[in-house]
Amino acid sequence: MFREHAASMQSRPSSEAEQLIVRLLKRTMPFQVISEGMLQSVAAVSRPFSYRAGEVIYRAGDKADDVYVVVSGAVDHLLSDTPTTVERNRVMHSGDVFGWAAVLGQDKRVRLATATCVETAEVIRINGAALIERLNDDPATAKVVMSRFATMITREFGAPAAAAQIVAPNRTVSDAPAAVPRPRGHATGLALTLYRISRWLRSPKPFLMLLGFALFLGFWYLSVQVWKLPRFREMPGLTTVFHEWFSKNPTYGLSFYTPEYYQDIWVSVRRVGIAFFLATALGVPLGLFLGWSRTFREYVFPVFEMLRPIPVLAWVPLAILMFSGSETPVIFLTFLASFFATALNTMLGVESIDESYTRAADCLGASKMQVFRHVIVPGAMPYIFTGLQISVGVAWFSLVAAEMVSGQFGLGYVINTSYTMVRYPTIGIGMITLGAVGYVTSALVRIVGDSMMQWRVRELALGGR
Amino acid sequence: MLAPTPTASARGARTQGAICIKDVVKVYDPDRAAIMAVDHCTLDIAAGEICMIVGPSGCGKTTLLNAIAGFHSITSGEIYLDGELLCGPDKPMANPGPDRIVVFQNGALFPWKTNLENVAFGVVMQGKMRKKEAYEKARAMMADAGLSGTEHNYPGEVSSGLRRRVEIVRALMNDPKVLLFDEPYRALDSLTKSVMHEALLEIYYKNNVTIFFITHDLEEAIFLGHRLVIMTSRPCRPKQILDVDIPHPRDYSVLTTPRFRELMDQTIEAVHEEARKSFEAGEREG
Ligand SMILES: Nc1ncnc2c1ncn2[C@@H]1O[C@H](COP(=O)(O)OP(=O)(O)O)[C@@H](O)[C@H]1O
Ligand SMILES: [Mg+2]
Repeated sequence: MFREHAASMQSRPSSEAEQLIVRLLKRTMPFQVISEGMLQSVAAVSRPFSYRAGEVIYRAGDKADDVYVVVSGAVDHLLSDTPTTVERNRVMHSGDVFGWAAVLGQDKRVRLATATCVETAEVIRINGAALIERLNDDPATAKVVMSRFATMITREFGAPAAAAQIVAPNRTVSDAPAAVPRPRGHATGLALTLYRISRWLRSPKPFLMLLGFALFLGFWYLSVQVWKLPRFREMPGLTTVFHEWFSKNPTYGLSFYTPEYYQDIWVSVRRVGIAFFLATALGVPLGLFLGWSRTFREYVFPVFEMLRPIPVLAWVPLAILMFSGSETPVIFLTFLASFFATALNTMLGVESIDESYTRAADCLGASKMQVFRHVIVPGAMPYIFTGLQISVGVAWFSLVAAEMVSGQFGLGYVINTSYTMVRYPTIGIGMITLGAVGYVTSALVRIVGDSMMQWRVRELALGGR
Repeated sequence: MLAPTPTASARGARTQGAICIKDVVKVYDPDRAAIMAVDHCTLDIAAGEICMIVGPSGCGKTTLLNAIAGFHSITSGEIYLDGELLCGPDKPMANPGPDRIVVFQNGALFPWKTNLENVAFGVVMQGKMRKKEAYEKARAMMADAGLSGTEHNYPGEVSSGLRRRVEIVRALMNDPKVLLFDEPYRALDSLTKSVMHEALLEIYYKNNVTIFFITHDLEEAIFLGHRLVIMTSRPCRPKQILDVDIPHPRDYSVLTTPRFRELMDQTIEAVHEEARKSFEAGEREG
């Protein structure tokens, strides 16, 4: 019956819109191979649609009726988590096809993924049932199209289970004539970031984060001030600490309104800043050479490995003997652990570089120095930044230890003297401030790292395709 | 799609890029384990030939390729490129250089450089062109290979098939005499592979560069090659050399011709025998 229908379809003069659809379909993987006539017939059951940024096209679990082809814009495709899912998240661009649940077996036509529009998108919707009907006019073509759907699903979405439901793909090379892969762009960085933030805000994560904080603060308040648990009774209470912190006239002399507070923060940040800078400036080159030159490594690495496990506190006496004043020993102690973390991670970074990159550079005529500059340094960069993240963390850790032992001013010093002077609420202020400032510095390192490694950010954003 | 220039279809239309491998031996770790990977291997490859190397896993194919490329030394024997000695008794290791460029099994585009920077890398490093000039030429060559629009993408952002093509263009940018392929399409699915084969032939018909191509895919080997060199199990040396007398330019229709099937049967027989030997010897993939 539909055979007649299709015939009448083909004789009908097709509109300009349909021509456009035909041209677009030709660029997609499943429809590349089929004849003009068949494409016309498919175009007849297709409808153009447009979505605004942020609009949900469908959700996992919805009934699947249409297959989608992206004309312009970008659509985020998030597969539900199943054990066989390799790659959950993908952003679709012009020419990409999604919504293939609509061509699965009758009882399987349920969405496995959620599709959300990232940038204003024009799409073509093709009714799955009608598509199958049209294709059945020409069983040979149908087989090819379906097996290409199956390939696409396993390859691009990592959902082999779903692909198996389409057809048993009987792929021989002659089934698949010239399919030229087409270049693809990427979603503009800003749109993608904004979209990710808005998705994060709409997900349960921000609430979980707030809930976590609330639980922590609630426990503090209840255990110290309400239940007065045995071990907690002496501790500064939540309200006491916050009251002191926000007081214009603090009992123990330190709050948001006193200049001393900012001086202590500044002194600590400055010490960490200097120590971190030195650790990076010396640790990265050392690590690069350790990784690069085997001879150098044989001389230096054993000494390095012997010094590295010595804890910061064990260095205190030596630091005080070596350096005069109170500032230099503190900076030296802060520097030490950072330096080791940075150098070690940088060295590992160099070792992690695949030999074929250096070989390729050799083939292409790069000199030894050029290989170092263009392969070794950028290749080690991801590890270097992992090292720097660790390095800021241990810098704060050692700073507080150093300030407690031999310092003047600074947050570690405040915490320690507040204890000896019985100014307990100030301990709380010092600790929370330390946490917040530490978090900010660590975030800064991450931001700098991301901006220096755009290639990595973009690769990860696309799920490392 | 496969429109060759009239002169380009004949083998050896080029005068440069002849490789002569003479009695090459490679023993790894000669003092202790002494693994012999290549044993008195002799092979002549004409300029502009597509020479396909097949053989069981771990037989020493990569070892031979690395010796030509200059990644490691040979124990004895000589390798010449256009009559010039690459490596021999007095100079056990060839210098790697842009006249012989390797396309690696897992791809070696620098992920931290954009596709365009990758393609321009060689000539910029050698100081042959200034950056601006190099980028212009790179852009033109990429356009020629149907890679327009991906210049400013990083390799990690494009499909694996596209990455392979960018890598080949990166090599051709240096006008090499020889391209050395080490199972470059191994990780690709058969659809992408078929596209890559046609793309490679298309490039070959334009450049006629000598191609030394290692593969374990017999269909690929016969479809692409002028000659098929079947290697023995480790230590490797040519066991049988097969002329593929199907005229170039070829396209996928040759797969269904009776001659193709015949050649396929002959190869399978020869390869199977070696594969069984190497399987029985417990050889692992290298
Ligand atoms: N660096 C090495 N040191 C010692 N043995 C090696 C080394 N590289 C490869 N081999 C051995 O040499 C043999 C040939 O390896 P290879 O050339 O990689 O084989 P193919 O590429 O044919 O699979 C294998 O048995 C492998 O284990
Ligand atoms: Mg190998």
